[in-house]
Amino acid sequence: MRRGVALAGSALGVAVLAGALILLAGDGSPQAARTAGQQQPAPGDPLTPEEVGRASEIANRRHMAGGRVELLYVERDDDKAHEGDRRAAAYFYDYARDTLVVRTVDLGRGEVVAESKAAGAQPPPSRREEVVAAELLLADPRLGRGVRAEYARAAGRPLRSASDLGLRGLIFRGGPCRTHRCVRLFVRLPDERFLDTSRIVVDLSAKKIHTLEW
Amino acid sequence: MLLNLALAAVLAAGTLTAPDSRDAAPCREPYRVDQRLPNGARWQLCWEMRTIEGLTVTRVVYVPKGRRGVGVLRSGALAQIHVPYDSGEPRYHDIGSLGPSAVPLTAADCPGGRRREQTVCVTTRPRGHAHLKDGYGDPGRRRSAQGHELVVLAAYQVGWYTYIAEWVFGDDGSITPRLGATGSLAGYTTTPKHGWPTGVGHRHFEESHSHNVFWRLDFDIQGRSRDVVEQYDFSGNGTKKRTMVRTRLTHEAKAVSAPMRWWRVLDPKVRNGDGHPVSWEISNSDSSRYRGPAEEAFTHHDVYVTQYRACERLASMNAAPRCADSVDAYAGRERLADPVIWVNVGFHHVARDEDADPMPVHWQGFRVTPRDVTAKNPYGG
Ligand SMILES: [Cu+2]
Repeated sequence: MRRGVALAGSALGVAVLAGALILLAGDGSPQAARTAGQQQPAPGDPLTPEEVGRASEIANRRHMAGGRVELLYVERDDDKAHEGDRRAAAYFYDYARDTLVVRTVDLGRGEVVAESKAAGAQPPPSRREEVVAAELLLADPRLGRGVRAEYARAAGRPLRSASDLGLRGLIFRGGPCRTHRCVRLFVRLPDERFLDTSRIVVDLSAKKIHTLEW
Repeated sequence: MLLNLALAAVLAAGTLTAPDSRDAAPCREPYRVDQRLPNGARWQLCWEMRTIEGLTVTRVVYVPKGRRGVGVLRSGALAQIHVPYDSGEPRYHDIGSLGPSAVPLTAADCPGGRRREQTVCVTTRPRGHAHLKDGYGDPGRRRSAQGHELVVLAAYQVGWYTYIAEWVFGDDGSITPRLGATGSLAGYTTTPKHGWPTGVGHRHFEESHSHNVFWRLDFDIQGRSRDVVEQYDFSGNGTKKRTMVRTRLTHEAKAVSAPMRWWRVLDPKVRNGDGHPVSWEISNSDSSRYRGPAEEAFTHHDVYVTQYRACERLASMNAAPRCADSVDAYAGRERLADPVIWVNVGFHHVARDEDADPMPVHWQGFRVTPRDVTAKNPYGG
């Protein structure tokens, strides 16, 4: 029972909202220390952009066989057992095997010092995954048409790509997503309204859309 | 008597040593905060905008006026914002990569302070009376002072909501983590029994929902060793007497709030000038105490105490392999050697006409208060 009609319904609706902020596209590395310059970072400093880049490169060196593997993001490893070491955790997701792989990189030693894997653990979606999810939504014949129509109405011009939309994704588990990696999107239009996407779940593992019933 | 005095002197001498402010700072600009407040209280800490948890404060040290600093928190961060709607669906877990959701702040968002890397504001502000004591006609004996507080804040855009996350460090040694929800209502329409009519007439019933906010606080009082957690209760109901009951939590625990109940973290070897162990008290009395279904067991308690594990970071939907999924599972049977405290504060949001638009901020949080960190009020003037 929605104001407007849920996206999942026969027509596309919007929840009427105003006053929200514009979601800025970012590089997905908000923790990157931008001002560290040439100085060695102190133990409590975030990873520098150089460290994030190096950690990604080191974590990617050893190929992960098969699968569809994507790097989600690199987070500083804050384990108290390694206080003082510069360590990074690189989060990978294998959509074919539905497995999270976290490789811990010791930046001082320049190598991966730990790797852990698990099915079922779902870290928050990356910026890239939010865009991929929106692309899958746009690729759905009926829902995609609805999103484009609502966008055109709000913006006064046609949608060029998924990144025109204000996107935020949250992990959805349960239902058809007990084993798959799924996100629920918030989609903001240029006129500050949000599409009602609460029943729409994008399954990144199966590359399909699920509609929730409740 | 003489022996007591000698003992007190020894304890006082061994009081609150390190971390020495002359030591190399654990972080650098712009991640370093070292703020002296007008009454002489000083806070030192580092901040980091993490991809998942967003604003995280680390290595928090309180330096009471005229005393040496005492380490309080190794780290503090949001651990989940669980938003179940009253009709049963949807049920959101709003963490969410908070780091990339951080809203760029303007100078107006950070009055009197300084923005750090666009998304974090570090500022100070008045907090009202610090104390007030009449001089009974003698102005020289009158004591009145206004307090101040240091605030480290960030804001996140999660769907239609904007969340403002504050870490407030008082000039009385208190810490108040709190989260404000603003932005816009979801606009979900429901039946009258699950909502409140907003807008004209009785056509649209905005759906009521909860914001169950979890914080993770890794206390390390002067280092990670020896920290102990106690729960305090005061028995007696319908009687004149109240009797204090102290329960030492030797193992991981799940606790519910109760009238007059509070907890504290202490290091028995770190003493104030009176020889009392330095501690910080945690109260969680302002929660609506949401209790979800069996599959949301993480909502079933208000305070969790767990043994430190690096991979245990979120109260639900934890994102690490080979690690439990939620805080109720972290709180098993392990012996506590390095306790981490998880605080769950709920707010039941029944929308009202004033909520649109933009929605006025509604706050939820809890307080961490010093208990015997100093031998007396160091700010009496
Ligand atoms: Cu709300």
